[in-house]
Amino acid sequence: MTDVRAPETDPFDPAAERDDQPRPGSSSPGGTFGLADWLKWAWRQLTSMRIALILLFLLALASVPGSMLPQQGSNPASVQQYYVSHPALAPWLDRLGLFNVFAAPWFAAIYLLLFASLVGCVVPRTFRLAGSARTLPPRAPRHLARLPRSAEYTIALPPGDAVEVAARVLSGRGFRLRRPDDADLAQDWVSAEKGYLREAGNLLFHLALLGVLVSVALGGLFGYKADRLLVQGQSFADTVSALDEFHPGRFVTAADLGPFTMTLNRFDASYISSGQQRGQPSAFDARVTYTEQPGGPARTFDLDVNRPLSVDGAKVYLIGHGYAPEFTVTDARGHVVYNQPTPFVAGTSGNFLSEGVVKVPDAQPEQLGFTGVFVPTAVNVGGTLESVFPAADNPVVSLIAYAGNLGMDSGAPQSVYQLDTSAMHRLTTSPQVLQRGQSLKLPGGRGTITFTGYVPWVSLAITHDPGQLPALICGIAALGGLLLSFMIRRRRVFVRARVGPSTGSQRVDTTVQVGGLARTDASGGFEAEFAELAAELRSAHEQAAQHRHEGE
Amino acid sequence: MPVNVALGHVSNAFLIVALVIYSLSVVAFAGDFAFGRPRRAAAAASGQQARDRATALASVGAAGAAAGSAPVEPEVPAATAGGEPVDDAGSMPELEVPALRAIREAGRWVLAAVALAAIGAAAHTTAVITRGLAVHRAPWGNMYEFVTALTCVAVIFFVFAMIRYRAWTLGVFVMGAVVVTLGLAETLIYTAPGDLVPALQSYWLDIHVTAMTLATGIFFVSAVLGFVYLWVDRYTRRVAAGRAAPDNGIVRRLPGIEQLDRLTYRTIVFGFPVWTFGVIAGAIWADQAWGRYWGWDPVETWAFITWVLYAAFLHARATAGWRGRRAHYVQLLGFASLIFNVLVVQVFIAGMHSYSGVG
Repeated sequence: MTDVRAPETDPFDPAAERDDQPRPGSSSPGGTFGLADWLKWAWRQLTSMRIALILLFLLALASVPGSMLPQQGSNPASVQQYYVSHPALAPWLDRLGLFNVFAAPWFAAIYLLLFASLVGCVVPRTFRLAGSARTLPPRAPRHLARLPRSAEYTIALPPGDAVEVAARVLSGRGFRLRRPDDADLAQDWVSAEKGYLREAGNLLFHLALLGVLVSVALGGLFGYKADRLLVQGQSFADTVSALDEFHPGRFVTAADLGPFTMTLNRFDASYISSGQQRGQPSAFDARVTYTEQPGGPARTFDLDVNRPLSVDGAKVYLIGHGYAPEFTVTDARGHVVYNQPTPFVAGTSGNFLSEGVVKVPDAQPEQLGFTGVFVPTAVNVGGTLESVFPAADNPVVSLIAYAGNLGMDSGAPQSVYQLDTSAMHRLTTSPQVLQRGQSLKLPGGRGTITFTGYVPWVSLAITHDPGQLPALICGIAALGGLLLSFMIRRRRVFVRARVGPSTGSQRVDTTVQVGGLARTDASGGFEAEFAELAAELRSAHEQAAQHRHEGE
Repeated sequence: MPVNVALGHVSNAFLIVALVIYSLSVVAFAGDFAFGRPRRAAAAASGQQARDRATALASVGAAGAAAGSAPVEPEVPAATAGGEPVDDAGSMPELEVPALRAIREAGRWVLAAVALAAIGAAAHTTAVITRGLAVHRAPWGNMYEFVTALTCVAVIFFVFAMIRYRAWTLGVFVMGAVVVTLGLAETLIYTAPGDLVPALQSYWLDIHVTAMTLATGIFFVSAVLGFVYLWVDRYTRRVAAGRAAPDNGIVRRLPGIEQLDRLTYRTIVFGFPVWTFGVIAGAIWADQAWGRYWGWDPVETWAFITWVLYAAFLHARATAGWRGRRAHYVQLLGFASLIFNVLVVQVFIAGMHSYSGVG
């Protein structure tokens, strides 16, 4: 009896790829279950679809805390905030790796097991697909009418000729054919199969996912990320000492940085000034001049939010901006001991109300320090300053002055945005508000601070990721594989011809049966294809019969 | 370029018109259940057959079906023997008839409902296009626009699938869900036409968000079909257990459980590559805008979770013990994660995708 169901090794049937049922005889004889058996059992479990499914769920579930809790990688400041607001809970979450979920060992364990399961499934399937390239379709089943699709008609052709014609039509349609061999005595049928690319697409999809993982690893090991705040008019070179933050991959050294230099010529931000979206930014433009190599030609470029600059293997992105108020400080001797723009960072209160500090280590007789707020468009609301618009339409600063020891020579690194006031004393009782051009006279003849103006600054991200292009290629390959595996159906068509009931005349009557099935018809449409194919077979048969009739 | 306020009003008017017409189409679809022409005997018999078979398979148990040992006749593969179901069981007999004739033969109520859905879709599409012309960009730049666009996709996709698979009996559910969603969007999150922040001013908005909108519209239909599937499945099991009488007039008119399963599967097969493409396009955009193609931003994380859950659905369908009901729970979970991403993550969780324009 011929069975259309594929033999066990046939990749026709996806469920056959992953064995859910223990095979008879899988345990060793005598009832002992040795280490090898355990390993075999574990591997079979791992590569079963059921475990793969569970790992998929775990992957989805494990990602959830990564979106709910602040993450060290993307937002370290929020993690600090969380420590402050949940002092008891935070250390425990940290121990579980929940502030760095996507780098946590347990997260890695899930996806590595998943990919191991994938390899264990996909590699044997690839070999099987390669093998099936030489395998013939199965023999035609006896009763084609029992297949999901079937058609039947009679034709005035001998059975042998009818099958011959059918084989020509099917072969012309790109089907792989199988004809009766010596074992099938006196049978007239042809089996045809098509759609092997479906499985190839499926495998391509899964292999490409592996490729994405490898690409990500490549970027993590050989790439780097860096940040740099650049005030308008200033320059920097892409060296470790000039960068504010530098996160190299495991195999990256300082020597791998591109030696380009960059100057911020000017930065403009425009904002929507009316309507519901008032205060929303409408456009940014950062004009930079850069040289790829020291001594190379200087080029200009307009950096924008969606327009990074590629330079020397790295990419430079505009990721933020702010205001740097300019201060001039004179000390008790009348010397100008500070005269520069000082980047202030926008807080959460909106409209670029920004905070920052001014440190004047060279002031005599004591070092001076100021904590300040920059308000781009200031309005006095009941005694407190508020910013009502992000553009600098009415810029003011509000300062608190300190004198004493800034603590900068202790050797410990200090944040430029924080003032260590532990060894300082306050000079002004309340914050002093200055308009542009106004000065604050420090008590006790310690000097003056003048708010002379402001310039914008931008924050730049500089990244180099060698895994980027491979990841893109693998992503596209995965999509291509997906489309192949969804759009192509693996289908079999069988044609049988038997001598039909005699009509009493001299004509030969042959009953032609056509049967078809598609197991993996994800996007549908086999029904229509079969109907069309059956009609084509019939018309080819009728033509051949006509021809034969005329020939007689 | 400034927003064209007059055109924005035209868009709003068309959207209201679409909402009214959709509501009428829901009434007509429901009217078909109440007063419509009884299904032809053949159709009813086939549906009943499919349900009988499902019941028989259920009683055999998952393990039997899994081993592929269920076929009654040894030479013919059982409907679900191994892997994805064979493309046979209970194909809708009306498929033999051309679509337009099949609609006419389905009776006045169906004809009216399908026509109303199509006219409503035209008005809806006009609303989306005029909104785009009013703001000079792809009209899916905030949550309100996203919802109006995705429901438009859902309706067009469903009308197409409904006609192709003669599945008008599902119209009341899908169009009903569209009316509710669109109505909520109009009342709760209406946002006047406006410009976008610089971060969104990129042609990748057209590519990435368009793909996400298309995929969400398609998954919207899948989710409604998934609920219908679970309902029919529950009813079928109750009938099989003798706890319900097999006389539910609505279920009797619906496609059989296997047809529902296959139809849902096909919508997801359609949506999944679109979602995958949207995620890849988003990664390319993220690389352009933020300097990394993947950074586990909350919205990225949830898009990944959604992708994994739909992938799990596709695998569940080929796994013993997960076919049918459980697989549909998985796809509904996938849709829930998608909705959670749109309604909760993008609005309440700080991240780089906070553009909803809500609140």
